[in-house]
Amino acid sequence: MRGADYLIKRTGAALLTVFVAITLNFILFRAVPGNAITALRCLHCTKQFKAALEKELGLDKPMLQQYTIYLGNLAQGDLGTSLVDRRPVWQNLKTPILNTLPMLAVATIVSVVIGVAAGVMSAWRRGTRVDRINTWTALSFYAMPTQWIGLMIVFYVALRFGFPVAGIRDPALGILEEPSTWTVINDRIRHLILPALTLGIGLYGEYALIVRSSMLETLGEDYVLTARAKGLKNLRIVYRHGLRNAMLPLVTLIALSFGYILAGAIVIEEVFSYPGIGLATIDAIDRRDYPVLQGAFLLLTLTVIFFNFVADLLYFKLDPRVTA
Amino acid sequence: MTMEAIPPIGGEVAAPVASNRARRGPVRKLLTGDRQALVGAVVLALFVAIAIAAPLLSPYSPTAKVGAVYGRPSSAHWLGLDDGGIDMLTILIWGARVSLLVGFAASFMAMLIGGTVGILAGYMGGKTDTVLMRITDYFLVIPDVPLMIVVAAIWGQSLFNIVVIIAVIYWTSTARLLRAQVKSVREQVYVKRARSLGAGNARLIIKHVLPQVTPLLIANTVLTVATAIFAETYIAFLGLGDPSQVSWGKLIQNSLTGGAIFSDAWWAIVPPGICVTLVILACTMVGQSMEDAMNPRLKVGHLSVHRFRLRALPREPGGT
Amino acid sequence: MPESTLQIEDLHVWFELDGGELHAVQGVSFALERGERMGLVGESGCGKTTTILAMMGLLPANASVAGSVFLNGEDILKDGERSVAPHRWKDIAMVFQGAMNAFNPVKRVGDQIAEPMELHGTARGRAAKDRVGDLLELVGIPGSRADRFPHEFSGGMRQRAAIAMSLACGPKVLLADEPTTALDVMVQAQILELLTGLTDELGLALVFVTHDLPVVAQTCGRAAVMYAGRIAEEGATADLYHDARHPYTRLLFSATPDLHGKEKIISIPGAPPRLDRAITGCPFQPRCDRAFAPCPTIAPRTVSVAERHVAACHLNEVPAERLGGAGATGAR
Repeated sequence: MRGADYLIKRTGAALLTVFVAITLNFILFRAVPGNAITALRCLHCTKQFKAALEKELGLDKPMLQQYTIYLGNLAQGDLGTSLVDRRPVWQNLKTPILNTLPMLAVATIVSVVIGVAAGVMSAWRRGTRVDRINTWTALSFYAMPTQWIGLMIVFYVALRFGFPVAGIRDPALGILEEPSTWTVINDRIRHLILPALTLGIGLYGEYALIVRSSMLETLGEDYVLTARAKGLKNLRIVYRHGLRNAMLPLVTLIALSFGYILAGAIVIEEVFSYPGIGLATIDAIDRRDYPVLQGAFLLLTLTVIFFNFVADLLYFKLDPRVTA
Repeated sequence: MTMEAIPPIGGEVAAPVASNRARRGPVRKLLTGDRQALVGAVVLALFVAIAIAAPLLSPYSPTAKVGAVYGRPSSAHWLGLDDGGIDMLTILIWGARVSLLVGFAASFMAMLIGGTVGILAGYMGGKTDTVLMRITDYFLVIPDVPLMIVVAAIWGQSLFNIVVIIAVIYWTSTARLLRAQVKSVREQVYVKRARSLGAGNARLIIKHVLPQVTPLLIANTVLTVATAIFAETYIAFLGLGDPSQVSWGKLIQNSLTGGAIFSDAWWAIVPPGICVTLVILACTMVGQSMEDAMNPRLKVGHLSVHRFRLRALPREPGGT
Repeated sequence: MPESTLQIEDLHVWFELDGGELHAVQGVSFALERGERMGLVGESGCGKTTTILAMMGLLPANASVAGSVFLNGEDILKDGERSVAPHRWKDIAMVFQGAMNAFNPVKRVGDQIAEPMELHGTARGRAAKDRVGDLLELVGIPGSRADRFPHEFSGGMRQRAAIAMSLACGPKVLLADEPTTALDVMVQAQILELLTGLTDELGLALVFVTHDLPVVAQTCGRAAVMYAGRIAEEGATADLYHDARHPYTRLLFSATPDLHGKEKIISIPGAPPRLDRAITGCPFQPRCDRAFAPCPTIAPRTVSVAERHVAACHLNEVPAERLGGAGATGAR
């Protein structure tokens, strides 16, 4: 198989990065001034209670020992316990993750489709007004803070057109009667669609600009002139020689910009009160629930590392020029 | 989340014969009429001026409650009042101070760190280079946003910390860019080194390398300002910013927590976002134009919707 | 005169620029028969590449064209893109400068060679694959290489593959734009030999654009010298060598090292004129060592000085008393 050693090398690098991330996670949270317990705010947190909690969570042990315990726990899938509701962190995060995934998927699809369409159209009609309008629109959306786009959409679109602006389900559903599957799905989609669309709009700008640039670069390549010399019609050249080559950077860009996608998801969920991993993270911050925050950070980081890894592999697979 | 990902915007059809105009330096280009760069620079300068002159320009005090919560815009209050009864226009102007300060400070610091690392790595090469690049790579690999969130949650709460956090997360691209540039300049420097016998490394770097990489450094810094402002807006929205300072980012967050949406108070929602967008756009225009000036892309497109035209033969043989 | 395989008549090309208009090709005419190889030479920017691109209508949107390109008697530029497109690759094909990029890096070489075949109905499917193999063998590449990607070929092999690709649909005219530049001398010689052999074997008419005169001397029976968008002189290569009728030709060819001698570059002082403004008189006049009275003001006409030998220089229109004595043309 071509590049088996490349695969091994990249996997090794990714694993190393994972390890660094885990360690960094540990260090960061132990470096909190004071420690997590003293910062804890709760109604009945007396000194004794906090001391007992400390002992229970093992925060009174030496650093290195804590680290080993931490690693051991991770290996067993134990992300710690929430300081607020005393449940395992994973329990706190599982449902939010499942809520976020479909929204992210829709958002990514929306942003890619619009981005590619805009980028190709711009490159095709380079220098014309269409190009300029497209480019500046993409740039503007790219420059807008994602949360602000969310607020604007909620304000001007959601309320006007009766879209739900909070949560993932209509709380009234299921009270009087058992809702049909179709109603449930419909309800979920209604709650999901605006956050997803908003996130998509916030993201498409970067893709549009990259696709445009990549397409322009490709259309200026000699093999495009050769294709034209061979008698291929413009559209055919764009499809067979242009897109394939221009999309290469886009594919890896999408994978690499996963961090940006996540960042946008976090604030969008806050704006729309959508109970996903983003909102869970923000809640954890607000309540100073460090174990949950730590768990969320770890999961987010690992996901991004994973997608970077995927990007590496994708590029290798798609571009025959890349060698190990 | 970086603005460096933006590719060049200019879409001129290239001349088949190279222009006879001397290649202009990026600053000259800025001043001599690259419209995009000019507009961007003007907008930026305007905002900076507003920020500096905040005490003079603001009609009211940024902390004084002058009316009802979410009071509507009127002739006395052009942009109405916010959720604390404070004049929106005033607080917007003062917000410019904080946002721009953070943006420029963080970017400057990122430039210092990234520039130093990049120049050293590019100039020294060898072991130093490898080590520095390894460090850079590890910084790059840790996703910026989760890191920023966590670090801000732990250490945030003060403007200075925010600036440092942003700088520490975003210096890497500057480092890489500069390293590449310095490497290409280094060859020339070694030639000069042979001549200026006895000149130490530091002197060479300052006298010969620095002038060559400064334009690129400045262009990159301007682009980083955009990123920094974006990042500050983000941090503030998560409630991790300095609670005693009001930035545009904080204003956006206020509009959510203060219930501006349900109070139908567009004046609390729209203006801060527009300001942020304009400043980021302006920085992008300027920074991108500068970068374009240094790496002109004169590729002719081989395909076009339009075709070449036919024309009548000129009347005089061999002439136009 | 019998209908030539390729006949260019008064070809003009303009490019619309920001500042004005560039008259890149200013009335180029020549004719070529099957089996003939013509070198199109000149300094950078003289318009030689633009000329051959125009022959196939491969000009950008800011270009405009006048004149005719006759392929076996038919003016393919008559209706612009519409009339020229059907002939591309089928009747007239091109080998581009720097075959490095003439191939799409993410597609296999064999597929790219076969691509025009299906388009023009030369062959499809299995037959196309076989034909690709044959073409590769013809240029000296093992047929099994068809499944490889361009970056797996060496520079010389890629150029051969590009030549094979150009022959895919059996054209009668082949245009080569600096096909041997950037190749090392050994490989260069092989490619030249290949081109020579192919044009003889297949009866192609070859227009060979280059700035490398020894190559022209070696490979091409005919040559045309371009200057400032015009043809300064055109004829049999031997005639241009021994009986140059344009001072530019003479200077160019005398700067050529002969096959056994050492290389000496005699550069002609000065630079070619700008083509974005009208030129009065002879474009070469400022650098010419034989310029005289009419040169600065009257543009020289292209006159026939011998059988299939033309030149655009006032010197050819001065009867009997040649200035500078007999052999004013600098014969060696």
